[in-house]
Amino acid sequence: VRRLAPLAAVLLVLALPWLTASQFTLHLAITVLLWTVLGVAWNLLGGYGGQVSFGHATFFGVGAYTTLILYLKLGLAPWYGMAVGGVVGALVSLPIGLVCFRLRGPYFSLATLAVAEILRLVALNWEGLTNGPVGLLITALPPVRIASRPINWESKAPFYYMVAVLAVAAMLAAYGLSRSRLGAYLLAVREDEDTAEAVGIDTVRAKVVTLALSAFLAAVAGGFYGLYFRYVDPDAVFPIALSVEMVFIAVVGGLATVAGPAVGAVFLVTISELFRERFLVGHLIFYGLFMMLAIRYLPEGIWGGVRRLLTRHAPS
Amino acid sequence: VETFIQSVVSGVLTGSLYAMIGVGLTVVFGVMRIINLAHGDLVMLGMYGAFWGLALWRLDPFVSILLWVPLMFLGGTLIYRFLLKTIIPGGELNTLLYTAGLSLLIANLALFVWSGDYRTIKLRYALSPMRPFGIAVPVPLALAFGLAIFITAGLYLFLARTDMGRAIRATSQNPEAAALMGVNVDRISMVTFGLGSALAGAAGVLLAPSLYLYPTVGEILIAKCFVIVVLGGLGSVAGAISGGVLLGLVESLGAVYVSVAYKDTIGFVLFMLVLLFRPSGLFGVGKS
Repeated sequence: VRRLAPLAAVLLVLALPWLTASQFTLHLAITVLLWTVLGVAWNLLGGYGGQVSFGHATFFGVGAYTTLILYLKLGLAPWYGMAVGGVVGALVSLPIGLVCFRLRGPYFSLATLAVAEILRLVALNWEGLTNGPVGLLITALPPVRIASRPINWESKAPFYYMVAVLAVAAMLAAYGLSRSRLGAYLLAVREDEDTAEAVGIDTVRAKVVTLALSAFLAAVAGGFYGLYFRYVDPDAVFPIALSVEMVFIAVVGGLATVAGPAVGAVFLVTISELFRERFLVGHLIFYGLFMMLAIRYLPEGIWGGVRRLLTRHAPS
Repeated sequence: VETFIQSVVSGVLTGSLYAMIGVGLTVVFGVMRIINLAHGDLVMLGMYGAFWGLALWRLDPFVSILLWVPLMFLGGTLIYRFLLKTIIPGGELNTLLYTAGLSLLIANLALFVWSGDYRTIKLRYALSPMRPFGIAVPVPLALAFGLAIFITAGLYLFLARTDMGRAIRATSQNPEAAALMGVNVDRISMVTFGLGSALAGAAGVLLAPSLYLYPTVGEILIAKCFVIVVLGGLGSVAGAISGGVLLGLVESLGAVYVSVAYKDTIGFVLFMLVLLFRPSGLFGVGKS
């Protein structure tokens, strides 16, 4: 059963567009999956490595802008742009990592927050490249045919499949990382960085490589955001709130678990989007509230708690 | 030369308020090792206090500050007692995440209750600035400057001269040793968090006539606040005061001589450089 459960979950996710006709449900599902990708990306470094970044909006924004700029200025189709955006995000992360990883604990967090703010201000003011506060807008997406049938970009289904594939790929990456040598290094860094160094682990390298992977995923998600909403501006893709939401989804869902960020995204995004639908503002109340509750009562997160209950009752 | 003096003056005026916010954050960090990410939102509450005091009861912000400061102090002690106390033993990263949650909660409750509209406080005497020696000084900012100096000096005396102040400084230097000398560290922490909140609230009330008010303004303030306390050295009160004035100067001079658009960026770049090369702060007084 344990091996089949993830497969069943994936099949259910892929079948969703057939199960519902509601555009709102599909939009909600797309949002949940987008945040799943971001939560998983953040969790690679923050959960496994214990490096709490408050600046992952940096990579999201870089990915979103790269994708849209390449399409609008060079005509590169946005799905290729997303991949290029991911690579650019990973490249951008290298100098950031080399600088910020000289700091530890809360100081690292504050430095990453400052980096994201610097990038936001640059995007706001470098009008030649980013169009400044006005933002960039895609008016039409290029036509694509799959098996000679044109894809309808006005429907949400193609976007849904795109982000579903991304989410599954991100979780596979997290699974791979957690079982790899690098994953073991990261756990060592998280538990005791000095000891990890003393036993010969190149801690800086482990952190920088993980950050690059994490930045790649966050940047691809940013590219998807630009493609789905067809619009980016600095306050939409570089805000502090965006960085913070990624952290909350991973922590509330379950740090250093493969499924945790997905659980966190389903839980937090669904509640907050339903709230936003009804009251328009203040939907992040629940992020704050559940973050505080999780730190206080359930530090291993929802998924961590569920897993503990499951393993206690399972005859193993 | 006139533009230079003008921007130095406005830099120092704004800087004095930054300093007050920074002092609140740094005192709390010193005693409890908490980086309080909700500090900016407490400033925001002070700003809204000033706004509603004027809108509902026609109380001038410089009068209603007498009401809001004790209230914020009380609120701070309650936050410590019922929300933070049990979290602190969990370590710095846990409290960082927890106060991030608190920050989002306060800001979004404010957004929900007061809506995201930008508001301003219009005071009759704010319409025309004073012009001593031909330099334009907005009246509310000058008043705020005076009060900020008064409050900060009062705090300094409190920390330097009273038993409670000594106990706070002792706890900040070494909590275990302070506890062994008979200091009630728990009570000191509660008072300190109340003090930090009161300072944040006071700075909010004083800033309100000079800034736009909106529920998420705390986000920008907290970012500036980190720049200030890191410049001065986390945990150092004198450092936070100098850091605040320095950031005020950097911003106003940067806006004139570098570029208005990038004035905030200068602060963050400075912040990164100090974090990397002088983590104990520019003046070498803080603890790294």
